[in-house]
Amino acid sequence: MSQVRTVEIPIGPQHPALHEPLQLKLKVDGEVVVDVFLVPGFNHRGVEWLAERRSFIHCLYMCSRVCGICNTIHGTTYALAVEDLAKIEVPPRAKWLRVLVNELERIHSHMIILAIIAELIGFDTLFMLLMRDRERVMYLKELVTGNRVLADYIAIGGVKRDINQEKADIIKKHLNYIEERMKYYKKVFAEDPIVRRRLVDVGKIPYSRAIDLCLVGPTARGSGISCDIRKLDPYDAYDEVPFNEIVYKECDSWARVMVRVDETLESINMVRYVLDHLPSGPIGPKVIPRRFPAGEGIGRSEAPRGELLYHIIHDGKGMNPYRLKIRTPSFTNIHNGIKILVGQHIADVPAIFGSYDPCISCSERVTVVDVKTERTYTMRLKDLSKMKR
Amino acid sequence: MSLPRLLKEAAENLFKKPATLPFPKEDIPPAPGYRGLHRVDASKCISCGLCAIDCPTKAIEMRVYSEYGNKRYPVVHYYRCVFCYQCVISCPKKAYVITETRPPPIGDKERLIGEPIFKKEEK
Repeated sequence: MSQVRTVEIPIGPQHPALHEPLQLKLKVDGEVVVDVFLVPGFNHRGVEWLAERRSFIHCLYMCSRVCGICNTIHGTTYALAVEDLAKIEVPPRAKWLRVLVNELERIHSHMIILAIIAELIGFDTLFMLLMRDRERVMYLKELVTGNRVLADYIAIGGVKRDINQEKADIIKKHLNYIEERMKYYKKVFAEDPIVRRRLVDVGKIPYSRAIDLCLVGPTARGSGISCDIRKLDPYDAYDEVPFNEIVYKECDSWARVMVRVDETLESINMVRYVLDHLPSGPIGPKVIPRRFPAGEGIGRSEAPRGELLYHIIHDGKGMNPYRLKIRTPSFTNIHNGIKILVGQHIADVPAIFGSYDPCISCSERVTVVDVKTERTYTMRLKDLSKMKR
Repeated sequence: MSLPRLLKEAAENLFKKPATLPFPKEDIPPAPGYRGLHRVDASKCISCGLCAIDCPTKAIEMRVYSEYGNKRYPVVHYYRCVFCYQCVISCPKKAYVITETRPPPIGDKERLIGEPIFKKEEK
């Protein structure tokens, strides 16, 4: 009788199941995953390093490009941090417009991950239909901000452009269609036998385990944790716009998917409310702020994938920040969430991993590669502090 | 086992027109307010250079025009431009003329520039 041995299977960095460059090394015993290793670093661009060498206005556009899909919320959070640093008051209309665009972004971000999960479980028809309907949201975003994907809508101290009644009517008309479709997709995700067989009771993260792993966003809310920053620590106009926090207690992949479906429906109602109750007034400061006082600022927000945090330090010299720290939701969700894959079947790995809504470009932070020995290693905080300027 | 919910819709879609377009022949016009090609109106420009300083991709070059009184005017290099319109907002005189035209697919960098608009009587 031969001895049982584990086999190492690489998934990625180029793989049909993962749409972004990330390598998962799975040790499998038969069909069951025994151990998981994560190999990041294929998309590292050194955004924080670059931010220390660019002016505050340039950083706004670079931070929007940390992630392609959730670019507006990155811009918003950077602006929140800078406004906290310089104590800039944002006019009410600008706050409401930020909510409008961020909720439109949440709708299309959730729709794309629902489509990708449908594709990962082998349900391509649902993928095609969701992507077709998502195109309308992209059109709405182009209508409000001027571009489909990279909105560049946020300015420090406000927003860049206003909307009129004509545009509001077009948005409402399209939202009716999207709401009707999303209600239909909710039924599909809740009742379809293909979806349920691949997602229900797969990749269970119990409440206490999700807290141990520091999961954030819809991934944690699928495990029954209430962690919506829009409710816990309202920023912009979220304290004035009514909405429900979606929490599911099933703890499996299906619950994480349903959180996103329900949040999309909730966001549609929020956009409608914002359009009906938009206050009048200016949308930004008269003079663009260029010089900032020394100090620290923190921006905290709820991105489509979870809690996003920007910490900015300025020493008062020059035009550029001294330090910019970005903590993205995908960073914790990917690096800690892969531990759940142990004990699962290898065929379920893409579906579980997809249900975290992984965004690789968000989560690439520190990798050190020694060029001479071609060795890659992680650094401890102590070593990093020695390297500081 | 019940039938998949999407079966009816998938069958209906077989007899519908495709949702995608044959792009070069057919095109969706951009939404109103689309951020397209932009150039500066030389009669309003005061050559302050704020747009060039604020441009995050350094796509704006302050070029000297000797035939128009040796003044510097901003020239937008569209191959570097990300169409964020920071220059349009930064401009203290609102001198930028904005359009909804998408940048054309040209490989030649020298042809992909937005030179200032000079009026004839200025010559």
